[in-house]
Amino acid sequence: MSSDENGAQPKPAETSPPGPESHRVFSERSPEIIEVTPQVVRRLTRRDFLTFGAGAVVALGVAASQLPPSTLQRLGLKFWPRNQWLLNKAQRVDDDVAELLYSPNRLVPTFKKSQITPLRNNYNGATPDPGYIPGWRLTLDGLSSGLAASLDIRTLLTRFQIHDQITQLVCVEGWSAIAWWSGLRFEDLLRAYPPVSQAKWAFIESSVNLDSNGNPDPYYVSLDLLTAKHPQTLLATHYDGQPLTVEHGAPLRLIAPMKFGLKNIKAITRITYVKDEPKDYWAERGYSRYDGI
Amino acid sequence: MASRAETSPPHGVRLARKHHLLVRVSHWLNVLLLAGLIVSGISIYWASPIYRHSPDPQTGNTDYFADAGLWLCAHVPLMHGYVSPPDWIYNHFSLGPYMLAAAMRLHWCCAYLFMVNGLMYLAGLWLGGEWRSLLPRASDGHGALIMAKYYLGAPFALFSRRQRVPPQFNSKYNPLQRMAYFSIPVAGWLSVVTGWAIHKPMQLSWLAALLGGFDRARVWHFWLMCLFITFVVPHVILVFADGWDTVRSMITGWSKKTGDGRPIP
Repeated sequence: MSSDENGAQPKPAETSPPGPESHRVFSERSPEIIEVTPQVVRRLTRRDFLTFGAGAVVALGVAASQLPPSTLQRLGLKFWPRNQWLLNKAQRVDDDVAELLYSPNRLVPTFKKSQITPLRNNYNGATPDPGYIPGWRLTLDGLSSGLAASLDIRTLLTRFQIHDQITQLVCVEGWSAIAWWSGLRFEDLLRAYPPVSQAKWAFIESSVNLDSNGNPDPYYVSLDLLTAKHPQTLLATHYDGQPLTVEHGAPLRLIAPMKFGLKNIKAITRITYVKDEPKDYWAERGYSRYDGI
Repeated sequence: MASRAETSPPHGVRLARKHHLLVRVSHWLNVLLLAGLIVSGISIYWASPIYRHSPDPQTGNTDYFADAGLWLCAHVPLMHGYVSPPDWIYNHFSLGPYMLAAAMRLHWCCAYLFMVNGLMYLAGLWLGGEWRSLLPRASDGHGALIMAKYYLGAPFALFSRRQRVPPQFNSKYNPLQRMAYFSIPVAGWLSVVTGWAIHKPMQLSWLAALLGGFDRARVWHFWLMCLFITFVVPHVILVFADGWDTVRSMITGWSKKTGDGRPIP
C-alpha cells in the first residue's frame, strides 16, 4: 500500500534505535511506523475496504459460476449464470502439463511378485457375457496397407514375443493395484501392422462393453501413439500368469500404466489409427482426454 | 498516555506497517482457493475413501463419512427427514457425490492458482521483510505453552468476569501464532508436493516413492487438509477475539498497535 500516490505524504516517525538484533539477517525488525492525519487514515481505510470488497464480490461470482448445476441448486443459486471457461482452461493446461511431463524413455516403476495386491473388476456397469470370447477377433484399421487386418488370439500369442511386467494400475477414482501382466508390446504390433503415415492416434474400441443395466454400451478410448510406443504399453493377454478372465478383459486388453485405469480398455475388439484425436468415452463425460499420470 | 500526547503532533495517528499488499491479497485469495480445494477434494475422496470398514450388513456401505451422515440424520432432531442420509456429509462439505469429473477440474484449477498464490505470498513476505517475524525461535515451545494456557483459560475468565493480563512477548507474533503462521505455509507447500505425487505417480514416481507410494501420498494429502481445517477454526475465532485492529490489518496493511498488541509508543 503506497500512500504517497494519494498525496498523504506520511512522514516517517522516528524509528526505534537499531538494536544489536537488527544487524542479524534472521532477526525480526521493528515495524515501520508512519504518522498520518485521521482524515488520511479514514480515506485509506475506505479505499482498501472498497477495493478488497469489490475483489471479493467478483471472485465469489466467478467461483460460483464454475460450480456444477446440482451444487448451485443446493446453494439456492439455481439461476446463477454458468461459465465453464476457467475450469475447461484448467483442464487443458493440466493435460498440456501431463503431456510435457511424459517421456517415452521414462519407465514406470516395476514391482516384485511379493508386492502384488488384489485387483478390482471395475467394469463400468456389468461384466459382459463371456460368449463373445470363442469367436473373438481383433480388427486393425487405418493401416498403411490400406486393408483392414483381422487377428485371432492364437496369432497374437504365437507371432509376437510375450513380455511380463508387474506394474501399478492407478484408477481415476483414487485406488491403485499392483498386478502382474503379460502380453505383446503395442509397439511390436505397430511394427508388424504399420499405421498410415499421418496417424497420431489409436482409437481403441470394445464392442462387448455393457452399461449398468446390462445393455450394450460400446467403450472406446483415444490413445496417442507416443504412449502406444512406450515399451511398457502392453496388449495384455495374461493376468497373474493366467489367460485373462472376462472380468479383466479377456482375451486382450490394454495395459498403459502411465495412464489412468480408464484408458486401459478391456476386451479390445478394434484398433483404428487416425490422424486427428478421436473421441474418448470418459472425456465425453467430463474427464481429461489425455489422462497421463 | 501523557507521554504519547507529548511525542505526537496534534491529530496525528501513528500506524505500524504490518502486512505487505501481496501478503494481504494472497491471504484472501487463499480463503477462496482453499475452500475450492477442500470441497472438490472431498468429492474426489468420495470416489475412493481412504478409510473404510467392512461392508455394513444392512446397507453394504463401507465409508465412515456415509456412516456419519446416517448417524446425524438418525439422531439430530431437525435432520430426520433428509432424503439421502449417507450423502449428507458430501452434500454439505463437497460438491456432492457422483461429482468426480467436475471435482477434478475444479481441484486442478484451484491447485494451479494455489501454487501461484503461494509464490505471491512468499514474494510479499520477502518484499515486506515479514518473513523474519515468522521464523521459529528456540524459546517458542515454552512460549506457545504459555499462550495455549492463556487461550484455553479465556472462556472461563470471560464467564467469571475475571480480568487477565495477556502474556507479553516482545515480537510481532506471540510464539503460538509464530508456530502456526510458520507451519501452515509449510503445510501448504507440502500439500502441493503430495498433490503432485498423487497427480503424476508415474512421471514423478520418485516423488511418490519419497512419500511411501501413491496410496500413502493420498493419506498425507488428506491429513494436510485436516490440518488446514483445524487451523482455520481457532484462527478465525482468535482473530476476531483479538479485535477489529487485527482483522482490519489484513485488509489495509497497517495496525494501530505494534508487536503483540502493545499500542505504538
